[in-house]
Amino acid sequence: MTKNFHLRLATLLLIAQFAVRAFAQSAPQLIPPQLEKELSAHASDVTEVTLNKSMLSLATQFMHGKGDDDAATRHLLEGLEGIYVRNYEFDKDGEYSPDQIEKLRQSFMTPEWTPVVHEHERRSGETSDILIKVVNGENRGLFICSAEPREISIVLILGPIRVEDLSKLHGLAGLGALAEFDRDDAPKIKEKDKEKSKAKKDGDQ
Amino acid sequence: MKLFFGVVLCSVALVIPVAVLAGGGAGFDGVVNTIEVRYHAHATRIPFIGFISFIARKGTHEGVANLHVADFENFPTEIDGAELNQIVEDKLGSEWQRVIRETSRHGGEQTLIFMRPEGARMGLFILDKDHSELNVVQISVDPAHIDDDIGRYSHHHGDGLDSSGL
Repeated sequence: MTKNFHLRLATLLLIAQFAVRAFAQSAPQLIPPQLEKELSAHASDVTEVTLNKSMLSLATQFMHGKGDDDAATRHLLEGLEGIYVRNYEFDKDGEYSPDQIEKLRQSFMTPEWTPVVHEHERRSGETSDILIKVVNGENRGLFICSAEPREISIVLILGPIRVEDLSKLHGLAGLGALAEFDRDDAPKIKEKDKEKSKAKKDGDQ
Repeated sequence: MKLFFGVVLCSVALVIPVAVLAGGGAGFDGVVNTIEVRYHAHATRIPFIGFISFIARKGTHEGVANLHVADFENFPTEIDGAELNQIVEDKLGSEWQRVIRETSRHGGEQTLIFMRPEGARMGLFILDKDHSELNVVQISVDPAHIDDDIGRYSHHHGDGLDSSGL
């Protein structure tokens, strides 16, 4: 009797532990935990936006505009599985290292993620990366990382999304910067893993 | 027998922190009470808030309801933002989802926004700390009515707000 009780109790505890872990893992990992801690410790301001599918569904209830743009945005949001944003601002240069950005990039270097833009300006130290998640030939996610000397912005959008759709999301909290994707001079993705080094060019001249 | 006592001891060790965290109630009052105790601060609650909430509900055609407001003055300027966030998450419970968190180093400025579905309505919990002042607000909004009001406001005041309302 006592043995059975212990066995049941142990099984229950084990199940509870697995359930807790499964719940904890349900949110996608935007930044490796250790890296997130390091960046947060050095940042003067940190902004986190977490909109999973149910929250996006709630957000779409606020969009009753009759225009085509509103309808398109609503349709886009309804299809998304989540929008996750992290923004780190620093008081001075050198509060994070290029290695940390590289570590962040590497965490997305999996077969399902395809790098489409990698831009690095050696003089200013600015780095931009765009990766697309492709599943069965369809875009199922977008990862954007923009690192300036005093600011790092990371956006992860899961679900069917194209770069052209980004400007539609600029009305959502924390995604105001995406409005620039609507501009005519916004960066266009034309080739894979494109790397620029303006400083090098300048140096050659 | 040793195993049995071991299990009991572990259970007690798990239950005690849960019981301590559970103190002070849950939801909006739980958050406010716990903040008062943890930071030795006193919250000013708006008198007749139930009546004000009723007026707001009628005034906004059911757009805004269930209004709760608490205001802390002389709040400690430097706090652990992660701890404050944890207190709010624990007290609100898992049905509330944090959508926005803004935190500055040493906790001078903190913003936490939580949402939860409430049938056709949406619950919003907002905590905003600006150095020595901290405000906590909870409301229930009806997206359809709020959107109409925002639409009217947008027509009158240009492009100040977008249709998403966020």
